[in-house]
Amino acid sequence: MHPAFAGLVTIVIGVGGCLCYFWLSNQFLDKVLFPAKGPNAGRNINRANLIRPWLFLFPALFALSLYLAYPVVETIRLSLTERVTQTDGTTVYEFVGLKNYAQMSSDPKFWEAMFNNMFWLIVVPALSTAFGLLAAQLTDRISWGNIAKSLIFMPMAISFVGAAVIWKLIYDARPPDTSQIGVVNAIYVGLTGNDPVQLLTVPFWNNFFLMIVLVWIQTGFAMVILSAALRGIPEETIEAAIVDGANPFQIFFKIKMPQIMGTIVVVWTTITLVVLKVFDIVFAMTNGQWGTQVLANYMYTQLFVSRDWGVGSASAMVIMLLVTPILIWNVRNARKEMR
Amino acid sequence: MFPTPIQKRPRAAQITYQTLVPLALILWLLPLLAVGLFSIRPLSDFTNGNYWGMPSSFEFFTNYGKVFFESDMPRYLLNSLLITVPTVIGAVALSCMTGFALGIYRFRGNLLIFFMFIAGNFVPFQILMVPVRDLTVNMGLYDTKIGLVLFHIAFQTGFCTLFMRNFIRALPYELIEAARVEGIAEWRIFWYIVLPLMRPAIAALAVLIFTFIWNDYFWAVVLTQGPDAQPVTAGITSFNSQFVAQYHLMSAGSIVAALPPVIMFFAMQKHFIAGLTLGAVK
Repeated sequence: MHPAFAGLVTIVIGVGGCLCYFWLSNQFLDKVLFPAKGPNAGRNINRANLIRPWLFLFPALFALSLYLAYPVVETIRLSLTERVTQTDGTTVYEFVGLKNYAQMSSDPKFWEAMFNNMFWLIVVPALSTAFGLLAAQLTDRISWGNIAKSLIFMPMAISFVGAAVIWKLIYDARPPDTSQIGVVNAIYVGLTGNDPVQLLTVPFWNNFFLMIVLVWIQTGFAMVILSAALRGIPEETIEAAIVDGANPFQIFFKIKMPQIMGTIVVVWTTITLVVLKVFDIVFAMTNGQWGTQVLANYMYTQLFVSRDWGVGSASAMVIMLLVTPILIWNVRNARKEMR
Repeated sequence: MFPTPIQKRPRAAQITYQTLVPLALILWLLPLLAVGLFSIRPLSDFTNGNYWGMPSSFEFFTNYGKVFFESDMPRYLLNSLLITVPTVIGAVALSCMTGFALGIYRFRGNLLIFFMFIAGNFVPFQILMVPVRDLTVNMGLYDTKIGLVLFHIAFQTGFCTLFMRNFIRALPYELIEAARVEGIAEWRIFWYIVLPLMRPAIAALAVLIFTFIWNDYFWAVVLTQGPDAQPVTAGITSFNSQFVAQYHLMSAGSIVAALPPVIMFFAMQKHFIAGLTLGAVK
């Protein structure tokens, strides 16, 4: 069977299954279990309505507990155990307490990853938000602003790997005295006449070159959200500032910025979350060599190269711990909104 | 009108503004322009070191033809399509239902479940890797598209539910009350009243999820291998090792791989941005 056809059949079965579930379960509840007639009609309607939300929720809850809740618990367990292959070939998991965490914290590569992640966490959200704000402000007042916005936003639609592949070419270096294929080196050699530099192996600064890729992608996101916020600012406040003789910088930093602070925070945290999980770019460009390791790639290496499931899971827990404050803050905000 | 339109500013300011913005824009898109230029060059340009001058001939059809007919690229693209479309349909369908349940009904545990969805939204996906991989292997779904689709649906449902619930909450509740007074069955209310009103949200969400899933790389590497099931994001790395140092083909391949979500973005820009704004602000 042709794969496209097989795919189509799967979609039809899946969608049909969803519809069937939805329709049949509701019919069953209304017609068979608690019919809205007979002596207990009123009570039955109430009971049916108590159950109904769970009918709607069940498929999603089932999927989430299977693919989200169970794996989280399982990873916590794995991070506390060691996989031991016994003499008869079977593997068992032995509880070892915090040994994996201890082993991880004595690994210099782990601390390199932690340090780099912190560096990423400071640079990428700051630069993306700043560039986004700048782009939103600059494109707001030109006639072809919307086209410019689409173009700035375009990298957002490209996958991280795709971007990494493209940027790898941009950072490429050829032997000295030949034409440079990498844009950066072509410009650098053309301007200074120095020998080309292998940008991705320059200690410390290569981290920065990887971050630029993510900034390039995320700026569009920041711009779109912030530009919507900028448009929402009441014009009277700006008019008043102009009448009072404020200059454009004062208007921007003292009138506009404070009014969109909430949105800036949202953009900042969203990008922070992306950064904490950054994997594709590092994996595709340097694979953590030359001092560019980050936590997500460290975990991947532990699991698939060293085959150490305990330490890998432990480093996954570290990422989870770093995300937890943002998670709690968001749930709290959602709660405040409800009241 | 405030602020002063750029046309009414002094001449010098206007000129600097109007040249600097396009210049910055070109710099911003330089990586894409460079790759686009490479992708239409003949191989001889690369051996001669003619990277930045005029291409000696335009090989658009030869290069892209090779990508489409002499590599695994079409299979990867098809795989991506077959993974992305069912995921979008599944995640949107599930989240319409959960969003309806959480947005319309007041029942015990409503808030708790909603907070669980929010929390699930923030769980870093790496933490799920080992168990999900084991689960997929045990179900016999490793290296299949279905395995990837099932996981993506489950994982995206958290975000989609958040999105849908907030959207449904903003709908006028009187509509539903009126329908209830008329004695319409609950599933008909969902199907005939709420669902048609959710169309803009569905469109926005579908476009958003489409790009998310199309661009996923991590799970593609974790749950699949080889050209039978791998999507194009994972395929592009094997494509590049197949055509190593053939920059014209690597460039053309990168562009082909990146094109579908970009086209999607330009075609559905309004929905895409509406989706991002709704998702971020709420």
